[in-house]
Amino acid sequence: MRTYIEFALKKFQNKMAYRLEFFMGIVNTVITIVVYLCIYKALYGGATEIDGITFQMVATNFVISLGLSDAFKYNEMFLQDKIHDGTITNEFLKPVNFVFRMLSENIGEGLFKIIFNFIPALLFTLLYASLCPPKSILNLFIMLVSMMLGYLILWLISFIVQTWSFWLFSVWGIITIKNVFVNILSGSLLPMWFMPATLRKIISFTPFESIYFTPVRIYLGELCGADILSGMAVQLIWICILALVAGAFWKNGVKKLVVQGG
Amino acid sequence: MQMIEVNGIKKYYKVAKRDKGITSSVKHLFHRNYQVKKAVDDISFSIKKGEIVGFIGPNGAGKSTTIKMLSGILYPDEGKLQINGYIPYKQRKQYVKNIGVVFGQKSQLHWDLPLIESFELMKYIYKIPQNLYEENLEKFTKLLDMENFINQPVRQLSLGQRMRGDIVAALLHSPEIVFFDEPTIGLDVVAKEKIREFIKYMNETEQTTIIFTTHDMQDIEKVCDRLIIIDEGKKIYDGTIDGIKNKYANSKTIEILLENGEKEVKTFDINKTPMNEVMEGLFSKYHIKDISICEPEIDEIIRDIYEGRVALKTTDGKVGEI
Ligand SMILES: Nc1ncnc2c1ncn2[C@@H]1O[C@H](COP(=O)(O)OP(=O)(O)OP(=O)(O)O)[C@@H](O)[C@H]1O
Ligand SMILES: [Mg+2]
Repeated sequence: MRTYIEFALKKFQNKMAYRLEFFMGIVNTVITIVVYLCIYKALYGGATEIDGITFQMVATNFVISLGLSDAFKYNEMFLQDKIHDGTITNEFLKPVNFVFRMLSENIGEGLFKIIFNFIPALLFTLLYASLCPPKSILNLFIMLVSMMLGYLILWLISFIVQTWSFWLFSVWGIITIKNVFVNILSGSLLPMWFMPATLRKIISFTPFESIYFTPVRIYLGELCGADILSGMAVQLIWICILALVAGAFWKNGVKKLVVQGG
Repeated sequence: MQMIEVNGIKKYYKVAKRDKGITSSVKHLFHRNYQVKKAVDDISFSIKKGEIVGFIGPNGAGKSTTIKMLSGILYPDEGKLQINGYIPYKQRKQYVKNIGVVFGQKSQLHWDLPLIESFELMKYIYKIPQNLYEENLEKFTKLLDMENFINQPVRQLSLGQRMRGDIVAALLHSPEIVFFDEPTIGLDVVAKEKIREFIKYMNETEQTTIIFTTHDMQDIEKVCDRLIIIDEGKKIYDGTIDGIKNKYANSKTIEILLENGEKEVKTFDINKTPMNEVMEGLFSKYHIKDISICEPEIDEIIRDIYEGRVALKTTDGKVGEI
C-alpha cells in the first residue's frame, strides 16, 4: 500500500514542476465554467426554473461534474504508448501490480488537478455566480465518497478502452468517441433532468448515471436516506462489473504479450 | 547448486506474412498466413552463482528473446527454466524481487522525473531498507560518476548518462542476478569502460551472477569469464574466450624482422600448414633477427564465425565445448 501511495505522491509532485500548465489549467477551468454558465443562462432566458429545476441546480450539476472530470483528465494514451514502445514489459519486471500503479498515478494527478486547478477556479467562479449549497454537511461528505466511486467508474471505463491497444494499432479514435459518450450520457453537459424520459430510462441501466449524477443528487439532497444507500450500491455494483471486464481484458492482453511476445 | 538452469528452451514467433499489392492487403484483412520464426531453438546451459557470462551472436540471433525468457516476461514454448529456485514465468512476482534487468534499448526510468526520484521510487517498489538504499546509492553514483546529473530530469540526459541511470536503478535493491541486454550500446569509450568496471565490481564484491549481451567484443574480453555464442536460435559455443581463440583461430600472423632491418608480415593457415613447416620455410628463406607470432584478434574470429567461415559444430553435430 505504501508503495502505491508513493506512486500517487510522486505523480502529484511531478505535476507541480510544470508551472505554465498549472496556470493554464486554472484559466481553462474558469473559462469553461463561465462559458457554460452563460449558455445555461441564455437557455433559461430569464426564467427562474424549468420543469422545477432551477438555474442554480443546473449550474451546480455542471460545476460538480466538471470538478470530477477535471480530476479525470490524464493521458489516456498511456497504455498504448507503453505497448507501442515496448516499455510495458519493463513493468512486469517489478514486484508491483502495474494496474494499481496506473490507478495510483492517475489519482495523484487527479488530486493535483482538483487542488490546484479546480478549487481555485471554483472560488473564482463563486464571485461570479452563486451555486446551491449542499443539503447538509453530511450530504457534502457522502457526496465526496460517492464522487470517488464515480471516479473509479470513469477510470475503469477508460482502462477497459485502453487495454484494447493490445489488439488494435490505435485506440485514440475509440477513446475520443468514448469521451463524447461519457460527456453526453452522464449528464455533465445536458443535465440528466432534461433528458427525454426514455433516454433517461435507458441510461439508468448503464454506468453513466452513476458517474456524476449520483454525487450531484446526494449533494443537492435529491437522494436521501435509503436512496443514498441504493444509489451508492448501484455505483459499487458497476465498479465490480467493470473491474471484472477490465481484469479479463487486461489478463488476455498480458497473456498475448508474454506468450506471443507482443 | 546451479543458479541458472536452462534446459532446451524454445521460442517460436508467429509472424503474419503479407504479400505486396492491394489485393493481398485486402485478403490479409480476412485471412492471415503465418510464418514461424524460430527465435530461440533448443538452448540449454547452466550458470553457477557468481559467474559473469557474455552472450553474443549476430543481429537477430535470439539473445534478447533469451534474456526476456530468463527474466520472466516471455513464456518459453518448450523447455525447462529454473533460476534461483524459481520458475521465472510462473512465479514472476516472487522471482523479480531478486533480479535486476537492464534493456539498453528501453529505459525504465521516469521520463520527466529527475533521476534521483526514479531511484527513490525503486526504494518503494522493492521495499529497500533505507540504510541499504543510501549505501548503494552513494556507492553506485560515485563509481559511475553520476553526481553532477543525478538531479536532472531523465529526458535531458545524454544516452550514456541515461544508461548509467538505468543500471543503477536496476541494481539498487542488490539483486542476486542481473541481466543486461546491450548495456554499452551507443556509448563512448570512457562510458563503456566505466560500465564494464562497474559490472565487474558488482560481480566481485557482491557475488552477483551476471549475464549480458553485447556486440562489443571488448566488453566480453574485459569482463567475462565465459562466453556463450548463439546463432539462429542455437547455441554454437559455450566456453572461455581463450578457448575460442586457441581452437578456432584458423590463421596466425607472423611478423619477422630481418637482419637488414626490413619487416615482413606473413599469414598462415595453421590447419593447412603446420607451424613446423612454416618455421622451416621462414628460416631457410630469410636471415631473421626477431620474430613475433600475433594472436588473432577476437573480433576477427567472431566475424569469421558469424560469416560462417569457421564451423563451431564438431563433426558429430555436438556443440563445441571447451
Ligand atoms: N515480438 C516478436 N515477434 C516476432 N518476431 C520477433 C519478435 N521479437 C523478435 N523476433 C524475431 O526473433 C529473432 C530473434 O530476435 P532477438 O531480438 O532475440 O535477437 P537479438 O539476438 O537480440 O538481436 P540483436 O543483436 O539485433 O539485438 C529475430 O529474427 C526477430 O526478428
Ligand atoms: Mg537484442
